[in-house]
Amino acid sequence: MVESLSFFLELFLHTLTYWWVIVPTVFLGLIVGGIPGFSAANTIIILMPLTLAMEVETGLIFMVTLYSSARMGAGIPAILVNIPGTAGAAATPLDGYPMTRAGKGQQALAMSFVASSLGGLITTVIALAAMPILARVGFYMHSVEMIVVMLFGISLIASIAAEDMLKGLIAGFFGLMIGNIGTDVVYATPRATFGFLELYDGVPLIPALVGLFAVSEAFLIIEKKSILTDSGRAAMLRSSWAATFEGVRMALSRWWHIVWTSLIGLVIGVIPGAGASIASFVAYQQSRAFSKTPELYGTGHPEGLIAPESANNGVTSGTLVPLLVIGIPGGATAAIMLVVMQYHGINFGPTLFEDQPEIGYGMFMAMAVTYMLMFLTILPMSRYMSRVTMVPTLYLAPMIISFTLVGAFVPREYMFDMYLALGFGVIGYIARRTGYHVAAILIGVILGPLLEIYFLRALKKSEGDIMVLFSSNIGNTLWVLLVLSIVLPIWLGRRKARRAAARS
Amino acid sequence: MSEHSEKPVRQAGGELVIPVVAIAFSIYFFSTILESPWTAQVSAFLIGGILIALCIGFIVRTALAVSAGSASLGFGNLIRREDWRSGRIGLLGATVGYVVLIDWGGFTLTTFLFLAISMAILSRGRRLGLIALVSAAMALSGWALFILAFDTRFPRGWFEAAMAMVLANG
Repeated sequence: MVESLSFFLELFLHTLTYWWVIVPTVFLGLIVGGIPGFSAANTIIILMPLTLAMEVETGLIFMVTLYSSARMGAGIPAILVNIPGTAGAAATPLDGYPMTRAGKGQQALAMSFVASSLGGLITTVIALAAMPILARVGFYMHSVEMIVVMLFGISLIASIAAEDMLKGLIAGFFGLMIGNIGTDVVYATPRATFGFLELYDGVPLIPALVGLFAVSEAFLIIEKKSILTDSGRAAMLRSSWAATFEGVRMALSRWWHIVWTSLIGLVIGVIPGAGASIASFVAYQQSRAFSKTPELYGTGHPEGLIAPESANNGVTSGTLVPLLVIGIPGGATAAIMLVVMQYHGINFGPTLFEDQPEIGYGMFMAMAVTYMLMFLTILPMSRYMSRVTMVPTLYLAPMIISFTLVGAFVPREYMFDMYLALGFGVIGYIARRTGYHVAAILIGVILGPLLEIYFLRALKKSEGDIMVLFSSNIGNTLWVLLVLSIVLPIWLGRRKARRAAARS
Repeated sequence: MSEHSEKPVRQAGGELVIPVVAIAFSIYFFSTILESPWTAQVSAFLIGGILIALCIGFIVRTALAVSAGSASLGFGNLIRREDWRSGRIGLLGATVGYVVLIDWGGFTLTTFLFLAISMAILSRGRRLGLIALVSAAMALSGWALFILAFDTRFPRGWFEAAMAMVLANG
């Protein structure tokens, strides 16, 4: 699996000649990523006849580009209108939207584009270099280790609920309880389905996302003429290209933050079954935990925006590793890529890099080139995209409601899912009006069922012995890190407060 | 009680809605798994138990605040007269109508009607010409992108059927 530098250079230049596929696909990906329900996976499925008809290399570059750009696209509505395009961008609005409301939408978008592109590019290069090692990560992550990874994400509930811990925990545990709706994973016993067959598979994520974020947001923003604050509107009217460059500068000055949070994404991405949502929650939580200014998170703090965006793009390159090296897709989109490539007679696994290195390495190269071209094409658009926030809410709110509700219908094509989104919209509206964090509910809905699966697997294997949770070295190391990441920031914060009090 | 006091107090009634719903939902959840195998129960009882304890804690905290006079059981932070004036109730009605009718009317027509009606409600009947134009443009753009280009299985009605026939016949 070792190729010469000239091979990679040649491959890079060859991939660049496919700019005519990459650039239009970037725009397609940004659109489908930005609308809840239209993920990259759905779009590749919809366009599968086209993909199958394409020549292998073109189809491969098309899919990789769509995958990467949809990931970046999901962050755009999250920043501008507080509506994540996918669950992977659910942590993005925590700090992205407050920046927008303050009239810094353009800077926030530019920061997000830099963090996504750089995070994606760095992790692609690392994945390319460390593929054999990374491919083995999945083998070491069993149920016990995955439980701790999930708890890293869930501990974010406590972080974002710092203002009123009790309310935050209620929201989080309510979400976890909702996430447990559906049949249990061992005996398929239906639980709390209200008699609806549509809930037997559990609560679908897109309707929950649409309701909690989009519908509730639409009903709230109509109170004002614009989603911007008065000072934010004045800042937006004054903004120029300089704001884009300021965003780029703000992101680049935090390059180390981009590197380490994207690495979290890469490592979580290579674990089959984990995904961008877990990675972005964990990255946000870790970023906040080790920040010198944790109190600024949730108020429009640049690092709170960079962390989830770098991490969820790190996942994109991570999911390719198990797919290419051992033939196990790390997520839904990777699984569809596997099907399309197998149709073309390409078999994934270690032999791919010996028999067809231009395909194996080509997928990573396509991703690297995509991130470069994507950054160059999308960055100038940040100024115009941020103008969406100037649209009066009387037009914006109905558009958000109609297009996101239909988006809730798309993944499963059940009318039920539109009603479900409406129901979650009511919960989200009540939660927001009464001071409960909808992101905490969503974290519970997303991670609840995953946590249960791994928990039950661990218990089944150990025949009900709860001590199995502390039975592995890697798991125990992760437990220690989890405890440290929760306790250390509290201890450091108290020490800082004590010193400040002593000085004054 | 405290709504008539001079000093404005926290309207805590609305804050109790989520905990009360959470408790009711947890009890319902438990009722569906009483006869189930332990694998279906363990996670739900653990999470639901903690959730109920947290909610009771919150209710007790609120009761103490109400008895101390720093909060009232009013719902002012949830339901206000402003909701009628801002068009929120009208928008809610239009949204429910949209979800109910889209299966029958199809995406394009129902979206156009929903956008036009809800924008008219929010603008209090002003700029109707512009609203009709924006609504038509958005609904047709959605049709062109999602149905014509992507062939997504959006709910389809007579407009989509008519356009499919028109396009099929060149």
